[in-house]
Amino acid sequence: MSAEMNRLIAAKEQRRHRLAAMTFPEKVRAVVKLQEMTAPLLRKQGRQVRVWAMDRKILPPA
Amino acid sequence: MEQTLKVLNALERDGVLGRYAIGGAMGATFYVEPLLTFDLDVFVLLPQSDSGLITLSPLYEALRERGYQEEAECVLIEGVPVQFLPVYSALLEEALREAHETLYEQTPARVLRAEHLIAICVQTGRDKDRQRVRTFLEQASLDRSLLADTLQRHGLEAKFQSWIQ
Repeated sequence: MSAEMNRLIAAKEQRRHRLAAMTFPEKVRAVVKLQEMTAPLLRKQGRQVRVWAMDRKILPPA
Repeated sequence: MEQTLKVLNALERDGVLGRYAIGGAMGATFYVEPLLTFDLDVFVLLPQSDSGLITLSPLYEALRERGYQEEAECVLIEGVPVQFLPVYSALLEEALREAHETLYEQTPARVLRAEHLIAICVQTGRDKDRQRVRTFLEQASLDRSLLADTLQRHGLEAKFQSWIQ
């Protein structure tokens, strides 16, 4: 394998470890992003999927 | 998600379910990179009915009374499809008993331990479970001694070894 490929694989591994180190709520938000990206494709294949509704934050008045 | 967990906590507090913990892909996500899933798998210990049968009906009824409707094999709770899975094996009973207590934002939650999630994957044995075990081994901080002990006690050591070779 070329040095460039090794570098790319190592970078990918590092990114996966960074993702694994996120907090649980951050990971849940990432999962919802993944749902948003994949749901249209899955629906085209006939699969019924629902993107999760994220918790609504109540913001203080401006 | 936080609202969903509040509902689960209330169900436990009200005795509708004995104990719950998150498992499946979302349980795994607690320990590794985010994994795509559309269901929140929740393992539950249910109170035994008068007939001695363990059934999800009282739980579903309690959720209907709170305004949450069934959707396929899940119940939609605060925008999240939750699949309730009654514990059906010694491994799951142990996993639920020893689940990890955590906070999601400000809300208490319980997640199965990584070592138990691995053992459950080995017991379930699908291709995606095998892939998930690999992900756990690459990314999660594991108590290797607990993992070995759990696999050995539940007769899963040989299968696990065959998976990781």
